[in-house]
Parts: sequence; structure tokens; C-alpha cells
Amino acid sequence: MIPSDHFVRFYNEVFKFLDEKSGLEDYYREISRHQEKHCLENFKKNGLQGVYDYYKTIIKEENCECVSEFAGKHCLVLKMTKCPSLSKAMDNDAGMCQKYCLHCPGWTIPLYTKAGLYQVYDIMGLDNPQCCEWLYDEIEPARAKYCELLKTRSVDQLQTNFHEK
Amino acid sequence: MLRYQEDKELHKDFHGTTNTSLNYIADKYGVEALKTILRKTGHDVYKSIREKLAKGDASELIEHLNWFFYREGAEFKLTVGKDEINFEVMECPAIRHLKKLGLEPSPHVCLQTTEVNAGMCEGTPWESSVEMKGPAHCVQIFKLEKKS
Repeated sequence: MIPSDHFVRFYNEVFKFLDEKSGLEDYYREISRHQEKHCLENFKKNGLQGVYDYYKTIIKEENCECVSEFAGKHCLVLKMTKCPSLSKAMDNDAGMCQKYCLHCPGWTIPLYTKAGLYQVYDIMGLDNPQCCEWLYDEIEPARAKYCELLKTRSVDQLQTNFHEK
Repeated sequence: MLRYQEDKELHKDFHGTTNTSLNYIADKYGVEALKTILRKTGHDVYKSIREKLAKGDASELIEHLNWFFYREGAEFKLTVGKDEINFEVMECPAIRHLKKLGLEPSPHVCLQTTEVNAGMCEGTPWESSVEMKGPAHCVQIFKLEKKS
């Protein structure tokens, strides 16, 4: 058994293998389908509140340094100040997969899309265990946030699950 | 002393993602590819354990088994002899949690143990094996016998 504590370092090895085979995107979709079992019904039924409740447990169990708060009725902000997952991938004798961070938007984007939520994801650097997500249940404020962020960030740093006008 | 100090909260649902990953890799790239990844995980991630084993020092391996299975809530029996370590796990915590989640354990679930342990022992005088006693009940065996 790979201990839950060390899952991240196994995941990191899977990413390295798949990256060499250009197979990461397909794998992210598989993980997203797996996560649907845990989250999709809740997210569809309860919207942003469902996401907030889900992350309340995740933040505790995964030892995240993360602030999760509503910014008005239609926006939930998840600000990760120390990602435990990337931190473990970095604190690792096997070395970090350079694309490690990308799995997060990789599996959440299809899931939020199916749940009818709009996501703007600021990765903040692939070797920086920090990121920020803005989640909306309406598309217009999501578009506005994306445009606002583009003024200070590169396109590559931002990911969304909607096509920008 | 353990290389990876983990003593905070535990997210056991990671067993579910591991299970999905085992099936995905085996189905898409074959069981040998899966074994390669797991063996590399044992070899590279647990470099510290492996390097100690190469010097005949099993202390970190023993601490690793004891601590991480304790954290997972496993019932186990650890027997340490001069040339052999037996670690009997009465009910695998990963399989137990998969069942709790309503997931079918992967047919490859035990490769986590056999291949990761083999990777830890690679290039050392230790040889690993696993004796299955039941569907989620096994004995992990480490024998000091071969030349490194």
C-alpha cells in the first residue's frame, strides 16, 4: 500500500511517465471523472456553497494553508497560500514533475463545467505552491475577473472553463 | 529517522485516486508500465530507505512500516529478526477505504506493495516478497540474503 501521506509522490511519478508519452490531458479527464463521484452531485445541487463545503473538508484533511471565502453571492474565492500537494512533490528525493501543478485545473475544469460553474484559475507559477481560483455561478462576472487579471498576468498563467469573448 | 515527516491530518480518499490511476495506467499502457512506475516510486521516492538498506540498516524501513500503517489505522504485526522482517497486515487499509467509498479495488492494488517494496530493495542485500493470506490480508517479507 502506498500510504495516503505519500500519494502525492506516486502521483508525481505517474505525471512524469505520462508527460513523456504526451498523455497528461487524457489522464486529467480520467481523474476528473473519478472526482465526479465525490463532488458532482453536490456541486450541481448546491452550487458555490457545495464547493465551499467540499473544500472545507479538503483544506482540513490535506493540511492546506488556504482561505476559502465568498466575495458576494455569486463568487467563491479559494486562495491557496501553501499548497500541501506541490510542497510534497517538491520535498521529494525523486524530484518534482515540472508540470505537477497543471493537474489541478486539469481535473477541476471539466468538473466545474459539468456543474454549471465558471472558473478563473491563476496558477501563480509551476514551482510556487500558491494559486488562486475564482468560481462563479454566472458567466459575466467570471469574464470580468478574467479581463481584470489579464492586465497584470500573462495569458499562460490563467486558465478558465469558458471561452473568452 | 524518517525522511518524510508526516504527522498531520490524513486524506484517505487518496486511495481512491491511486486505485483509479492503477487501472488507468494498466489499461492504457499495460501492467509492465504500471510496475515500472511503482518500482521507480519505491526506488526514487524512498531513496533514503534504500540507501540505508544497502548499508544493512533497516531502521527507516521498520519505522516507515510501523508509522504509516499506524496512521492508516491498520491492525498489523511487525516481527523483526536479524536477517528477516515480517510485516503482517490483517486488513489492508487501502482496500478497506476503497470499499468504504464504494469503489471496486483494482486487480492491480497489491502491486503497490510488491513493486514499491522491490524498488526500495533494488541494489541492496535485501529481497522483498509478499505472501497473500486473504483478499486484503498479507505478509510483507524482507530478507537479508543477496549480495548488493
